[in-house]
Amino acid sequence: MPNDFSIIGKPMAMVDAAEKTTGGGKYADDLSLPGMLVGKILHSPYPHARIKRMDTSRAEKLNGVVAVATGQDAPNPYGILPVGHDEHALAVDKVRYVGDNVACVAAIDEATAEKALRLMEVDYEVLPAYFDPEESMKAQADLIHDNKPNNLEKDYHHVFGDPEKGFAEADHIAEGRFIANEVTHAAMEPHSTLAAFDIDSQSGKPARLTVWSSTQVPYYLQHKLSLVLDMPMAQIRVIKPLVGGGFGGKSEVIPLEIISAITARKARRPVKITYTREEVFWAHRGRPRTIIDLKTGITNQGHITAVKARVIQDGGAYCSYGVVTILYSGALLGALYDIAHIQYDGYRVLTNKPACGAMRGHGTVNVRFAFESQLDELAAKIGMDAVEVRRRNLLKPPTITVNGLRVQSYGLPECIEKVAEASGWKARKGHLPRGRGLGLACSHYVSGAANSIIRSDMPHSTVNIKIDRDGGVVVYTGAAEIGQGSDTMTAQIAAEVLGCSLGRVKIFAADTDLTPIDIGSYSSRVTFMAGNATLRAAQEVKKQIASAAARKMNCSPEDLVFRDDSVRKRDAHLETAVLGGASQPGSGASVAGRVEGQILRGSLQQKRKDEAPKDSMSFEEAVVAAIDFHGALSGTGSYAPPLEARGGKHKGAGVGPSPAYSYSAQAAEVSVDEETGEVAVHKVWAAHDCGRALNPVSVEGQIIGSVWMGMGQALSEEMVWKDGMLMNPGLLEYRSPSSVESPEVEPIIVESVDPEGPFGAKECSEGSLAATIPAIANAIYDAVGIRLHESPFTPERVLAALRTKKAQKKINLTEGIDPTAPAGFREHGGALWFRGKGPKRHPLDPSRREVHEAARGDD
Amino acid sequence: MSLPQFQLLFAQTTQEAVELLTKYAGKIRVLAGGTDLIPSMQQKLFEPDYVLDIRRIAEIGGIRELPGSGVEIGALTTLTMIEHSEVLRRRYPVLTEAAATVASPLLRNMGTMGGNICLDTRCLWYNQSLTWRQACGFCIKKDGDLCHVAPGGTKCWAAFSADTPAALLCLNAELEIVGPSGARRVPISDFYTGLGDNYRRLQANELLTRVFLPEASADYRGVYRKLRIRGSIDYPLAGVAVAVKRSNGRCADARVAITAVNPAPVMVKGAREALVGEVIDEALAERIGDLAAKTAKPLTTSALTPEYRREMIRVFTKRSVLAAAQS
Repeated sequence: MPNDFSIIGKPMAMVDAAEKTTGGGKYADDLSLPGMLVGKILHSPYPHARIKRMDTSRAEKLNGVVAVATGQDAPNPYGILPVGHDEHALAVDKVRYVGDNVACVAAIDEATAEKALRLMEVDYEVLPAYFDPEESMKAQADLIHDNKPNNLEKDYHHVFGDPEKGFAEADHIAEGRFIANEVTHAAMEPHSTLAAFDIDSQSGKPARLTVWSSTQVPYYLQHKLSLVLDMPMAQIRVIKPLVGGGFGGKSEVIPLEIISAITARKARRPVKITYTREEVFWAHRGRPRTIIDLKTGITNQGHITAVKARVIQDGGAYCSYGVVTILYSGALLGALYDIAHIQYDGYRVLTNKPACGAMRGHGTVNVRFAFESQLDELAAKIGMDAVEVRRRNLLKPPTITVNGLRVQSYGLPECIEKVAEASGWKARKGHLPRGRGLGLACSHYVSGAANSIIRSDMPHSTVNIKIDRDGGVVVYTGAAEIGQGSDTMTAQIAAEVLGCSLGRVKIFAADTDLTPIDIGSYSSRVTFMAGNATLRAAQEVKKQIASAAARKMNCSPEDLVFRDDSVRKRDAHLETAVLGGASQPGSGASVAGRVEGQILRGSLQQKRKDEAPKDSMSFEEAVVAAIDFHGALSGTGSYAPPLEARGGKHKGAGVGPSPAYSYSAQAAEVSVDEETGEVAVHKVWAAHDCGRALNPVSVEGQIIGSVWMGMGQALSEEMVWKDGMLMNPGLLEYRSPSSVESPEVEPIIVESVDPEGPFGAKECSEGSLAATIPAIANAIYDAVGIRLHESPFTPERVLAALRTKKAQKKINLTEGIDPTAPAGFREHGGALWFRGKGPKRHPLDPSRREVHEAARGDD
Repeated sequence: MSLPQFQLLFAQTTQEAVELLTKYAGKIRVLAGGTDLIPSMQQKLFEPDYVLDIRRIAEIGGIRELPGSGVEIGALTTLTMIEHSEVLRRRYPVLTEAAATVASPLLRNMGTMGGNICLDTRCLWYNQSLTWRQACGFCIKKDGDLCHVAPGGTKCWAAFSADTPAALLCLNAELEIVGPSGARRVPISDFYTGLGDNYRRLQANELLTRVFLPEASADYRGVYRKLRIRGSIDYPLAGVAVAVKRSNGRCADARVAITAVNPAPVMVKGAREALVGEVIDEALAERIGDLAAKTAKPLTTSALTPEYRREMIRVFTKRSVLAAAQS
């Protein structure tokens, strides 16, 4: 009976929905401690410069300032990847982007701290800076990091199969350059961290550190804090309060998280730092702008014969997750379609801009835009429908792809069929009125990485469960709830296994003192991995309860059914249902006075009366029996991906493998205004194979959210640069879609039931995003016949392409970059430097006079 | 970002407000809806010692019909009230259309008629935090001596970015301005200077109190079209207002104004002359579009390219003229 579940598979409100929607829930910035100070960070005004001199004395003397921290207070480098320890929380010698962190002031309030920043004196030696990745790769001198020649963070060159042979077999080959401009997460909650030291009672010195932070990865944060602050991990406690969205932007250690601790140590008082929205943009870690030179071969029968991709990512000034990002871009060319020959050349390049990192669909999104667009170009060449060409390139699972990825459950075929059906593809494609079109695209994503970024044998998730005589089920999990529903998923799985009601389950999550280690909420790993750990922990506890209950019922543990807050003999189940009454399934967690007496007072008389064998016990009775029999009732479960799923042996093979992949197919319907270039998305049909939907309403929410976020990148979101200055560091000018232009999204859940997922579940939070961008691009082509190779498809780009197509009079709508064949990145058209481009400033540059003005202002 | 420290003052009457403005001239800013002032103060674009809250001045709120001589709108009337006013919708539709496009519903609940008229000019190089502006070397509009938009120039090109003034231009609206020596009335066309920095003719000790829509401008067909990337929230990147009066199928009178592409909202030169007496068709509308595009001087004050914004002035003007003629 695969669908005979009592908790999972039913739409549930998130367990923390009430506190969030009533405003009672506490996020990091809501927290406050006695004596707490406000920290404000001094940021670099230059994209690349050496710090020659820093004088903090005037800032320190300002009334209300308690401490000023600089790089010398914690000079150890760190980085999220073991191969990328290239960051300092506060600069020790150089700054590498406008917004880099120079110093931090802790003061009694925000206004005082901001005033103190104006009193900081820093002399810089300005260095030549690199803004374009292709230019940066030519650098010989003034490197961004001395140990990275040509400003190349990392490059990979993979050949699987025989690409030359594959292209020789092709009847048609398409080749082109695609550009995806830079986007960021724009989570609603700006990053915030509160750090406080206990004072050691013996020495009077700062001792244990507690950090409350908006993080997706509490354990990585604990680890990096230990590294930078030179403290044992056991002396550091990281607590994750409610988090208002992550999308990857909180999936690594963000400078403020360490800076607040450094400053708190120096000030000997708790320090809280909350980023302004502008600082969130500088901290960034978003999706890098990417150049994709893509070549695909196809036969007249629609079989893809080979793919060759050369990808350049403009990674910004630090490594961050960059090495992983550039590997994902290549690895996930596989595992969606059956492609026998793949060549991949990936370059992660350093530039003097904020660091890029992981963002929803990590590494896969921009390449997928290029691939799915080019596949449509090829389908048009061979006169084949977009649905049909995808049908002809499906994998035949279970299988291992040419680049070593193990694919088991594979719901893509069903996704494609369902989307084609729901969108009326066959009847409507090509028959819509002028200016209106339909487009299709597919995508996939990992359900967690099979290899942790820290190579070890450590389980990726561990969960402890404790049940006491009150019958309350307490789950301790390191998994970080960031709004995606991790706590709800954990509670559902525990309740399902134990046959108890959801209200019985209490979740303690993401507190490094209380909860066992979990590597965090990223790469869509939580449901699969923490879910499996929860499942195993719950099964262990269930086994103990079952053995005690079976003794009471004179049966074997295997004959027991746990359901609806009771434990019954298998055949007794029906009888109770027929009898009805108070013990009816679903009567909930009510504790009858009789039972209460037994639990609390342990009345022997009562106990004896109940000792006669029976067919059914309440959950509490069974728990009490188990505790009486075993002692403490607790269980633990952990999850490590199986060896078979961990990928091949080539250099970089660690990234891409996953125990299971999610699949998505989407159709978008758009209309294009041919005079203005404005694109309206009317509807998106989005089918997603999530293995099994543990909480369907949550899965639908994730699908809709992914489509919406993908639509933002497709149409309006773009970080605009000018010589390293971010021109739109705010949510007014960085345009995420508003409710007005958000289309109707029809989510379609496909359940392929994965053999290894918890109850068959896989990821549902990231895989859908990548399909939206090419689905819209393909729909624009269907509507007006233009093929955009540069995202986002802003009205100016669409109009430029339309005018070129119609051979209308040339007007410079896009400043020389043809969006159908872009050569490189476009900079904002204004002029940053008074005398042309370059690091030399005008001698009368008022920023040079700033110090004196601030001095006057202070008097 | 914190607000700079200031002392908050309240005025109960226009006279009291003018007295305070006179007393603290140069050190005081007026707060009505606050939707423009507060973010700008957080960015340290203004660091006044005093902020004068005028919302308690009952005499300058609300919409009043003046029988035979038009409509009077108090400066404190919210944009939501304009949007939903029955009399304005019926008699001066171009204004309600423009008001309905301002920012978002929440901001229109706060933002006022007077505030929209007085809205500071905007530029990507200006509407930024102190830290950001310091990093780019400041600019001629605030704290600096150079322009990033027209390098080497000494004129500020920040774009006037309010929606309703284009409509008010089409309606020949007049503004009542009260100063120490009493009230004066000026046509809205004389209110703006055409400079990005010193963009309006309002003395430090003066307060904009009322807007008058003349009876002669009533009952024109009106259309406002706005270029923006999102359907809500965004400031205009180009805006076109058109008011047309028809008689026997021909255009009896017409006015066309554009906003957000110059440092001031401006009437399109020659549009009226080209339209009056004609039957409005696509070709004529296109000609008006060309005239509007010629009047527009967009520069790199926004993320969109100037060429695109100019082109949209052309398209939106054509569409507005046709829509006004056919409505």
